[in-house]
Amino acid sequence: MRHFSRSIVTAALLCLLPTVIFAQNNGGPRMDHENTLPPTPTGPTPMAPDGHPDLTGLWNGLADNLLGVPNQMHNVGIEVGPDSTRDIHSGVQIATWPLQNRKRQNNEQNERAATLLRRMGSNRPTYKPQYWQRVKDFDANSNEEDPSNNCMPAGVPRMGVPSYIAQTPKYLIFIYPGQGGLIATATSYRMIPTDGRQHTNLEDLDGTWNGEAIGHWEGDTMVVDTIGFNSTSWFDQLGGYFHSENMHVIERFHRDGNTLTWTATIEDPDVLLEPWTTTPRVALLNPDPKAVLLESLPCSERDFAHVVTKEHH
Amino acid sequence: MRARMIKLLTQRPIIIAVLAALAFQTAGAQSHDSNANASAKPMAAGAANSATGSSASDVAKTLKTAAEAVGLARWSGVGGQRLPEVDVVNTMEVWASGTTYSPSPSSKSGEPWQPFKTDYHVVLGYNPPAMRVEMTRSPSGASAQGSAVPLHTIEVVRDTYAWDESEIGAGLVPGKGTATPAMAAAKNRFLQLWILPYGVIKAALAAGDKTKVSTENGATVITFPLSGPLAGVMVKATLDAQNEVAKVETRCDNPALADLVTETEYSGYADHGEIATDVISPGRIVRKQGGHPVLDIQVKMWDANNPYLVFPVPENVKKAAAN
Repeated sequence: MRHFSRSIVTAALLCLLPTVIFAQNNGGPRMDHENTLPPTPTGPTPMAPDGHPDLTGLWNGLADNLLGVPNQMHNVGIEVGPDSTRDIHSGVQIATWPLQNRKRQNNEQNERAATLLRRMGSNRPTYKPQYWQRVKDFDANSNEEDPSNNCMPAGVPRMGVPSYIAQTPKYLIFIYPGQGGLIATATSYRMIPTDGRQHTNLEDLDGTWNGEAIGHWEGDTMVVDTIGFNSTSWFDQLGGYFHSENMHVIERFHRDGNTLTWTATIEDPDVLLEPWTTTPRVALLNPDPKAVLLESLPCSERDFAHVVTKEHH
Repeated sequence: MRARMIKLLTQRPIIIAVLAALAFQTAGAQSHDSNANASAKPMAAGAANSATGSSASDVAKTLKTAAEAVGLARWSGVGGQRLPEVDVVNTMEVWASGTTYSPSPSSKSGEPWQPFKTDYHVVLGYNPPAMRVEMTRSPSGASAQGSAVPLHTIEVVRDTYAWDESEIGAGLVPGKGTATPAMAAAKNRFLQLWILPYGVIKAALAAGDKTKVSTENGATVITFPLSGPLAGVMVKATLDAQNEVAKVETRCDNPALADLVTETEYSGYADHGEIATDVISPGRIVRKQGGHPVLDIQVKMWDANNPYLVFPVPENVKKAAAN
């Protein structure tokens, strides 16, 4: 009897094997996103004792902020619905064919398509013409040129939405866990005063990856104003978007129930023709009230030596 | 069952919209392998030409097959997602060389135009629609005797604006070249964007139920009207056996738009990008305009990985357009 049961289990596992292999062939953890629409807010917005929204929380409810194509498409303003796709910046409708009838493709084709999907949006910073070629070259050669490779920090505002926010009367604490893969980034934190202080003179600041940040409330929106950067980082996850030491970043955080909307406006008159604002990113509160941030594995770059083409991953 | 659906389509217009929405699914269901792709081609060698009036299903199937043939309709499982296929083509950069032709100041009607050995560099985008064509032309053949220095031109179009640049990005920052408004050239420049293989597929999809599919001499033919600034121009695109756009003809009844009557042949399709994308682009482009040969170029590289390409409109061009 025991032998019979074991045979059934073995047969059942063998039947499941192709399914498992197929799932792996189609990429990473199964998030089962069927669209790139932002999450709909639910629940009340908790308020802090000072009367402002309380941003405290674990904002990793979408789990794959950097690694998944759906979130990356959302981050560049491409809203894919069940049977229509739209660029939220230009309003252009993009041809869409239903999920059920997709052409089959292998892992390599998956990766190449991902490269195109991540960068099809129209919301791009406009550099001065003398820098167009440099941005294009950085982007094309990002496997080698990306300053965040080899476990360096992503920097502000490329880090995007923090995974954890702690709000106190005089400070905000932001935590950004490191991520693995070819866009590996180091774990970072920011301690942002909200006590009304002013910025240090730019000339007196040593440029850093995260700069000097100061927060203040504009209505129910937390505005984090940052100066004092190095000129090493790129200011978005994709695109080779370099900047000067004179970059000025204005981030806006707005909580609505269990969602947090983040945008960053980048001013850099040294290299940009005009200020540029990122596509709004909407983070979801972790639904598990007992959830904690897991320890990030030590960042160790192991993939880079195996990259032999300019294809992005 | 499918025949019955088509019959219903012709009898009950009210359900056309519903079935048209399903048409993409029908098309896609047959596109999981190359044989299915081949079966989507309604062609038979030597078959008589069929009239237009194709069903929405036929049009949808043909356009999806054409979109997949050039790598325009794509999806990705990276991130474990279950998103539909979408049109991924936005920005592209092309380097090519060959011959272009222009009328000489002294040429008479009916005479061949003057050939130029040409280096061709094009950057383009569809969201927003824009194109920058940079050409360096040297007279070739008999006309090269005693020729002057090579002629370098940069022609740009975006949205409703057209202008010429003295250098790339001219007119945007002080001291960096001049931008000269060229609004009269906007239609002609836009036409070059929309008769590229990707433009044809996008425009045919956008034309909706005005797009028709038929067969001519065994080849699939797509016809549709352009819209916006190019309203009045009809496009006829012929697909090859791999469902790639092989020939594009434009016609216009308005004599004032005679320059928009073109005939372009595309061949040698491959992924010509430095970074592989599986977007397939033509390796040779041959064009006639108003009956004259205007272009015969070989593609050196065609980057289709949505590179950083921008087309800001200079302030003086905006002001000129407003006047």
